[in-house]
Amino acid sequence: MRKGQFALAALTAILISGNGFAADMNKVLHVAFNAPETGFDPAKISDQYSSSIVENIFDPLITYDYLARPVKLIPNTTEAMPTISKDGKVYTFHLKHGIYFADDPAFGGKKRELVAEDYAYSIKRLLDPTINSPYSFLVNGRFVGGDELVAKAGKNTLDYNAPLEGIKTLDKYTLQLTLKETNFNMTYILSMPVFGAVAREVIEANAANTMAHPVGTGPYLLKEWKPGTKMVLEANPNYRKDVFNFAPSKDAIDAGIIKAMKGKTLPCIGRVEVSIIEEEQPTWLAFLEKQLDISGIPQPALQEALVIDPKDPTKATLNPKYAKMGIQHQRYKLQEVTYTYFNMDDSVVGGDSKEKLALRRAIAMAFPRSETIAAIRRGQAVPVNYMIPEGVGGHNPNFKGAAEYDPAKANALLDKFGYKKGADGWRVQPNGKPLSIEYATGSAAIDKQWNEYWQKAFDSLKIHVTWKVGKWNELDKEARQSKLQMWGLAWGADYPDGDNFMMLLYGKNAGDVNYANFKNAEYDKLFESSLKLPDGPERNKLYDQMNKIVVAQQPWIFGDTRVRNTLAQPYVKGFKIHPIVNTTWRYIDLQK
Amino acid sequence: MFAYIIRRVLQMIPTIFGVMLLLFILFNWVGGDPSYILAGKSMNATTLANIRAQLGLDKSQFAQFLIFVKQVATLNFGISWSNQQPVSSILAARVGPSVTLTGFIMLVSTVLSISMASLVAYVRGSLTDRMVTLICTTAMSVSALVYIIAGQFWLAHKLGWFPVLGWGDSFAKNLVTYLPLPVLLGVIVSLAPDLRFYRSCFVEEMNHDYVRTARAKGLSEPKIMLKHVMRNALIPVVTSIMMSLPYLLVGALLLETFFAIPGMGREVIMAVDKSDFPVIKAITIYIAILTMIFNLLADIVYKLIDPRVQLK
Amino acid sequence: MANEKGSRSLWALGWKRLRKDHIGFVSLWMVAAFVLLALAGALGLVASGWRNEVAKPYAPPTLLKSLGPKHVQLTAENIDAANKASEQANGQPSTGTSLTADEDPLAGDLAEASKNEGQYQEAATQKAETLPMGADLRGRDVLQKVLKGTSTSMLVGLMGSLAAIVLGTIMGGFGGYFGQKIDDLLMWFYSVFTSVPDMLLLLAFSAVLRRGISTVILVMALTSWTGTFRLMRAEFLKHKSREYVKAADAIGASHLRRMFVHILPNVSYLLLVQFSILTVALIKYEVILSFLGFGVSVTQISWGSMLAEAPAELIQGYWWQMACVTLFMSILVTAFSMLTDSLRDALDPKVK
Repeated sequence: MRKGQFALAALTAILISGNGFAADMNKVLHVAFNAPETGFDPAKISDQYSSSIVENIFDPLITYDYLARPVKLIPNTTEAMPTISKDGKVYTFHLKHGIYFADDPAFGGKKRELVAEDYAYSIKRLLDPTINSPYSFLVNGRFVGGDELVAKAGKNTLDYNAPLEGIKTLDKYTLQLTLKETNFNMTYILSMPVFGAVAREVIEANAANTMAHPVGTGPYLLKEWKPGTKMVLEANPNYRKDVFNFAPSKDAIDAGIIKAMKGKTLPCIGRVEVSIIEEEQPTWLAFLEKQLDISGIPQPALQEALVIDPKDPTKATLNPKYAKMGIQHQRYKLQEVTYTYFNMDDSVVGGDSKEKLALRRAIAMAFPRSETIAAIRRGQAVPVNYMIPEGVGGHNPNFKGAAEYDPAKANALLDKFGYKKGADGWRVQPNGKPLSIEYATGSAAIDKQWNEYWQKAFDSLKIHVTWKVGKWNELDKEARQSKLQMWGLAWGADYPDGDNFMMLLYGKNAGDVNYANFKNAEYDKLFESSLKLPDGPERNKLYDQMNKIVVAQQPWIFGDTRVRNTLAQPYVKGFKIHPIVNTTWRYIDLQK
Repeated sequence: MFAYIIRRVLQMIPTIFGVMLLLFILFNWVGGDPSYILAGKSMNATTLANIRAQLGLDKSQFAQFLIFVKQVATLNFGISWSNQQPVSSILAARVGPSVTLTGFIMLVSTVLSISMASLVAYVRGSLTDRMVTLICTTAMSVSALVYIIAGQFWLAHKLGWFPVLGWGDSFAKNLVTYLPLPVLLGVIVSLAPDLRFYRSCFVEEMNHDYVRTARAKGLSEPKIMLKHVMRNALIPVVTSIMMSLPYLLVGALLLETFFAIPGMGREVIMAVDKSDFPVIKAITIYIAILTMIFNLLADIVYKLIDPRVQLK
Repeated sequence: MANEKGSRSLWALGWKRLRKDHIGFVSLWMVAAFVLLALAGALGLVASGWRNEVAKPYAPPTLLKSLGPKHVQLTAENIDAANKASEQANGQPSTGTSLTADEDPLAGDLAEASKNEGQYQEAATQKAETLPMGADLRGRDVLQKVLKGTSTSMLVGLMGSLAAIVLGTIMGGFGGYFGQKIDDLLMWFYSVFTSVPDMLLLLAFSAVLRRGISTVILVMALTSWTGTFRLMRAEFLKHKSREYVKAADAIGASHLRRMFVHILPNVSYLLLVQFSILTVALIKYEVILSFLGFGVSVTQISWGSMLAEAPAELIQGYWWQMACVTLFMSILVTAFSMLTDSLRDALDPKVK
């Protein structure tokens, strides 16, 4: 009897080690998002919060190395990085064998292996007109035969069974993608969470509610979802054997991470509980009370949490009071630019004439950016001087594009172009009409803080400013219909390549991501040429020229790029933040 | 009585219709276009048109209103526009925390304020009475926002008496761990106005002639207080409680926000923010129905407390 | 016209009673002082310079310096210096942009403009290290802000409740006085409005209107007229069959005259009480509105917009703005509530 039991236990142990399951279900990681998620169908989401969950449930073909900086792509479910044809158009992926989906009733009680067809299906879903994927812009017009298939579908479901030259499987484990044009960013694009593999059976069985039924091959599965309040992930028992085996980068912390994690079977943490906490005070207090294990530092708490050197505010260290407790602090520059755009089609601030340009330039010169970096960002941001941020292919650190803060000269410039002061002391347009500018803004407390500084800028120029307060979707709609005059936005990298940023002022994107409606023939020509070039000095030259056009024409006022400060409790092991991957839960461990 | 109830229920129909009309006009006018949220970072006209068609936004206003009527008649509001979950399941998940939180606040506050109010009313005009009134008035003068921010900061963070925030799955855990601080703060905010209101109800009753008559008849003060005054004063008390019951659902927005409690108030804000019209419609209609039902119940309770009340 | 004399004597009696009520009388003076302060603020006599940055960011209160947090606030100069250093390190140009004069279409104009910029140069002002009540993020004087905020908050409270009272009285008056179809319609309107949660109405109304004091007042009036409506409807219903109204009918007074010249003065004491209750409620309501992002615009300041800054300040240890607003607000609201109690007692015709 005794013996038999032992044997059974041993057998179980072998089975478990066989499919690589090592997560400790008693280890629970507590984290918070500061805004609600929308759902977990990779093809239907675009917000960072949903992606953070999706990237833990689904596997894209390629992913990023956890430790390497600058970021480096590595194979994920593939044997190796894809083979790419000489002309950069044909990508061939060979999948690893023996990767299984998490169990689901749709699989009829059988283990379901991941095959190339799953990726073909998943990518085609982004093209499907009935799905309206927010990321369809990444795939539309890209694959050979794709547009024709979409056109054939009209308003109906895409015909997934029809042969498609651009997205096809060569055998059970081989996927081949054929592009219409050379594109050097395809591997980056395919590493995004939205390109994770879904199983067609699951999608079809839950067609009415794919958002709530994510079933993938990733390290975690969705255990519980209370929309807008709570998400619980649990380690996926079917997850393939995945061992922590990363090489250190130049970063000093990597040695410790490798020491703590090397050879461990991933994921270590059995359960991840994500709650939504929108307010900053509770988020910060909850971290201090160890109710959260990992948390960003909210902007108002930065001064208290960090010791910021006034001589170099970008070099901040953790407040000794927290460092003594063993709290870990990491920081990195986000791969983003913030900017305020002028609507170039607007009759007051837009247009190519010199007097309009002078008005835009004067406003740019009057905005006290350094003050906002000091007061709102608490020094945890650097000015934007180039359309492409640091860490993204094509960035030029030598370039300085931001207009210098000089409200006095800005006033003199306005005088020169005939923006005279009226009897009430406020400026009028050169044609004598009253001058008043409408600035679009949200209604949160942080928006109001920014508006204080914009108000100050406009006051210093003696230009009337009014506020158009609206919800994000309302402003977005009006922006795309060219009804706004000015609005401040941020753009984060979808993939670390300059093309993802330079497209923001491409004329053909007007009414879409080109909110400024900037249409400059020379810029457009340069942009089109840049698409045909890989990252390198030749393309950088084009990017420099394009940036010069932007600086000269001033469709944007450059803002800042934030430095994100993230803290982790002492017992979180192997923790490192990644500039592109939202969450690193699968790579860390808890040792309380 | 039965006929009365039937008549009152029938009267609800035009009111519900009015609520629907108001809601429909307001949110079609100002609610925002949800397709811009769903379309994401980059979009084209076709995608937007497809989304609008899927949401039924391309139908005529009249057709959309008819759908609304059908939804109200069946109490099935379909799926949320923002996360595509059934509205019923979203609301079901929210009702529990809301009712637990505000229910407890109301329970504690009502019990405390009625007992304190009757005591204070009993010694009306005394120094104690005046002190209690003054303290209540001063306590009421501080904004609920200040109580919550300061309470969370000092009581939970600095002193560590309570967890900073949170909400669990088990009722017992919530009751013992997560509820005490928000309930305490909620009671602080609502106790003073309740106490003042109930005191005035009691005092007003005590000034009535019948109290003097009872006293002249030689009835003891406690007996007068319990038998006559309390019973009559209960009418405004019951009304005030009944009327506030439907607001239990959305009333504790600030507490929910600061303590990360998954209640209805946050859902309303979120739904408005994301132009999630089905959720807004469902919450409003349910609250409207509840308001009317509780109004009716209040009237019936009057009758039970005081048989002299005529139901008209 | 016995009724008018009657109502006048009720006011006179009320005034006499109020003067005897010490608490009520003191409260009255305090409220009056706040009203004066509010008027002075509205006319620009007090705290007109609240938007000036007179101190260092978050300068502490003079007397309670030691109770402030120790960390230093960064200034724009710090950031400028750091940017200069990084420009040098990166080889970016030290002045202007990377564009040469040929590349910038405005280069010539800017050079010319720099000759005339002298008139716009502002002398750097010395920023104070401490202020009586401390400073906010931008170094504005919290005392000035709270004084100006008093003005706005009282304006909002008083005007909001006045608007709600007017709306409620007119509708309640018509409903109660005319009854029948008009009453049915107005009652329907009333039950619709009371059945929709205030918060939804609030969110909806705020979404259409621009930010500013007038919007806040309008939103408040639209969401809080129902109490007055109910009250006035009942009173008009009661009074319309009274003798003095019938007498007025006999001498040929029009309906409107009977409603607003004859009945209204007799119920006005109720309105006064209702008005002060509502004012207090709305002053507090404004705080919540501001927190939800529906407050006044950036060029205006109210207690609510100051308190909306409090959560972010408190986690940094800056308690003074919250304390200051809470102090002012609680003095006014307490005095106002006490006054309301006294008014209610003094004007109650049942108490002889």
